[in-house]
Amino acid sequence: MDDKKVRNIGISAHIDSGKTTLTERILFYTKRIHAIHDVKGKDGVGATMDSMELEKERGITIASAATFCEWRGHEINIIDTPGHVDFTVEVERSLRVLDGAVLVLCSVGGVQSQSITVDQQMKRYKVPCVAFINKCDRSGADPYRVIGQLRSKLGHNAVAIQIPIGLENNFQGIVDLVSMKAVYFEGENGEDVRIDEIPSALMQEAITKREEMIDAASMFSDKLTEAILEEKEIPEELLISALRSGTLTREITPVLMGSAYKNKGVQPMLDAVTQLLPCPSEMKNEALDMDNNEETVILSSNPEAPSVALAFKLEDGAYGQLTYIRVYQGSIAKGSTIVNARTGKKVKVGRVVRMHADQMEEMEAIPAGYIGALFGIDCASGDTFTSPGITLTMSSMFVADPVISLSIIPKDNKSQINMSKALNRFTKEDPTFKTYVDDETKETIIEGMGELHLEIYVERMRREYGAEVETGNPRVAYRETITKKAEFNYTHKKQTGGSGQYGRIAGYIEPITEAEFEFVNKITGGTIPTQYIPACEKGFYACMAKGPRMEFPVTGVRVVINDGAAHSVDSSEMAFQAAARGAFREAYAKAKAVIHEPVMKVVVETPTEFQGPVMGLLNQRRGMIVGAQDDGPMCVIEAQAPLAEMFGFSTVLRSATQGQAQFTMEFALYKLVPQSIAEELTENAAKAKKGIQSKS
Amino acid sequence: MVKNDFAIKHPLGLEGDATDIIAKGTFGAVLSRAGVGKTALLVQLALNAMLRDKNVLHISLNDPVDKITLWYKELFNLLAQRYAFEQAGQLWETLLPHRFIMTFRVAGFSVPRLKERLADLTGQDIFHPDMVIIDGLKFDESIREYLVDLKKLAEEQSFSTWFSVHTHRHEETPLNSIPVPLLDVEDLFDVALRLQPVGTDIHIQPLKGPISGLSPLALDASSMLIK
Repeated sequence: MDDKKVRNIGISAHIDSGKTTLTERILFYTKRIHAIHDVKGKDGVGATMDSMELEKERGITIASAATFCEWRGHEINIIDTPGHVDFTVEVERSLRVLDGAVLVLCSVGGVQSQSITVDQQMKRYKVPCVAFINKCDRSGADPYRVIGQLRSKLGHNAVAIQIPIGLENNFQGIVDLVSMKAVYFEGENGEDVRIDEIPSALMQEAITKREEMIDAASMFSDKLTEAILEEKEIPEELLISALRSGTLTREITPVLMGSAYKNKGVQPMLDAVTQLLPCPSEMKNEALDMDNNEETVILSSNPEAPSVALAFKLEDGAYGQLTYIRVYQGSIAKGSTIVNARTGKKVKVGRVVRMHADQMEEMEAIPAGYIGALFGIDCASGDTFTSPGITLTMSSMFVADPVISLSIIPKDNKSQINMSKALNRFTKEDPTFKTYVDDETKETIIEGMGELHLEIYVERMRREYGAEVETGNPRVAYRETITKKAEFNYTHKKQTGGSGQYGRIAGYIEPITEAEFEFVNKITGGTIPTQYIPACEKGFYACMAKGPRMEFPVTGVRVVINDGAAHSVDSSEMAFQAAARGAFREAYAKAKAVIHEPVMKVVVETPTEFQGPVMGLLNQRRGMIVGAQDDGPMCVIEAQAPLAEMFGFSTVLRSATQGQAQFTMEFALYKLVPQSIAEELTENAAKAKKGIQSKS
Repeated sequence: MVKNDFAIKHPLGLEGDATDIIAKGTFGAVLSRAGVGKTALLVQLALNAMLRDKNVLHISLNDPVDKITLWYKELFNLLAQRYAFEQAGQLWETLLPHRFIMTFRVAGFSVPRLKERLADLTGQDIFHPDMVIIDGLKFDESIREYLVDLKKLAEEQSFSTWFSVHTHRHEETPLNSIPVPLLDVEDLFDVALRLQPVGTDIHIQPLKGPISGLSPLALDASSMLIK
């Protein structure tokens, strides 16, 4: 197989910009499906990519299914990325697997706050992209405004390589500025592409825009610059290759236009994907060598080299667990043995398939650069698989700590069993989703990145697993930390028959910002024998899980021990662990502990007339408004607000703005809780404690 | 409060608040050609006021909110480095509530509109500005009307206002005389400063106001901090 003809692309965009519809059309034109369904289809079938029932109902894409299709001799793998900010882990993991992306924008809505988030992620993973301005048929469509926003809001060097023929109701097709031809889409589903001369009314505009495009492209090709200077006819291939070089380094973002819903502009976009986006071997992929202090290693796309593959997505299919993998080096063949780098377990590869949303195609092997799926492999998403004998791992993905938790109680016994099945699955699929059983209340707690994040999982539990659960009130993940250095000198002594316990530890704790916990041993002269030092550390570390003040996890503490005492008979590891716990409590009481809460970055887009009320809403929620951006009829308000105050915000926002405002929310930072709130929290914690005691 | 522990040199070498250079209800202007450092100077004036618990409303007609926050963050970090602030991160957090950024499209900016926005803020007790910065307003023929209205608003709401004024090369005027864009409306301004690149430095030349007698000031061209 020729890796030059492979494209792994993602289609990423703001919710509702028509991403799933576009994907659907791509699959239709590449003959993977034979009928077109719409996202919220009347025919009840729904778009092929949204394979989960829930997604169909809400009209949004949650899971990123990988789909394979062919276009003009190129093999294209499409990763359908989720469009909601609460699922960014899935988005980020998909980006890891992609070599390029199509950034879909709505010609009316333009660059919205979510597009900014997604774009930042693409920047972080250096994913080259082309932009597709969709919905050019809608009233108010203005692709040039969107291009302006791409430049001003996202900082892209956006260059139109097409111009629209008519807009809104009158949108007929596009002019390709590279070939200088008009392209129309005819037939019932736009499958017949008719190439024609450019309408004379558009000729002047086309020439100007073409010049702008050539100007931008000439930065990346000396040959092209020469051709321009010599005023020669510019060959298409030269222009495309210059545009391509600019795109691969993210210095140019070619902009295409169309309307997926009206079946216009999709085929030229596919051409652009094959012409302008990179093939797998053009992208540099790095892995970490676990034997060599996690040094980075550049992977070669050579199919003969030892295999390295990343499991980026798990799905529960009818035949057991389906694991989507991307192979970075070597190949994964049917019947071969691979090792899970995280667990060290060897597994034998059973069936190897290529996915087309819900259907699949059997394969012999998946070579480097390709995306496929394995059956019956037990692993978590984000795991690396390698050939036996090598110890590479794909760099661990950044995973944020959960900021919100919720207790769930199954309604009956059957739900109980199904719930644990579901939770087991979800935690494997999504590293930001965690679950545990609370020691004190014996309730099952789920944790995640936001209210919606957890809601979706509760919903999925019910629909996919038939587990009816009752949810408690969402709880915010507060943290405790200290603000002052405090000393301790604690002696743990017990002599109640048998061998006694003795240990003395002295030193201090102090606040640090760069790590959660640090333990420094400055003991000289062996006042605490070396064999007990690890026990001391363990004792201190154990205290971090539950702060003495409010029972929230403690972070940002450095413990330094510099003195102590031991007894030749009575000292033991146990004794020192206990001493450490006592010492921590002693110092903590003096260290001016404070509570921190997660603060979210909230971005609201609202019609300007509601700007005042929206700012009022945010202000009421202890939100600090960073700024308001007045953008004609719409304005964007950016604020930082504590998560604890944001529950139910969507409902309030809707009613205050007649449903015309949208907002996104993501975790920003941990911040000190104001005194009054801290007191309230302390009171509640005290009450809760009493409650538990009286119950038991 | 942490911030009161820091005695930062006044950006213009004066004692007291940055807001004190110009009284409430009055105007100040920073003039220069494009890219010389008007915004940098204005942001420093703003930071200085914020460090003294004054509220600053920053209105920009060119840049998005993100870019302006970046200006503040960068200049604050440089100041923090220069004066070796302890716990700069915490200090920054306490400063933020004193700043409010508004951006408008040039065409969408008008005094009634600003008044409406201000009413949103003050009416709901969200933010009461002591100092307003207007960056990017075009000083053309119709500017006088604008400024007169704005002055009324500033007097009502008792805030002082700083403007950035873009001068053009072809309108270059001799040193110490008021440049063209400000000429017609000079009477409305109490203070005017001109930024002039001289060699590797950018000199701050007082054109009008109480600081005209001070020792020469300059911006460091690399950090854009006042020397």
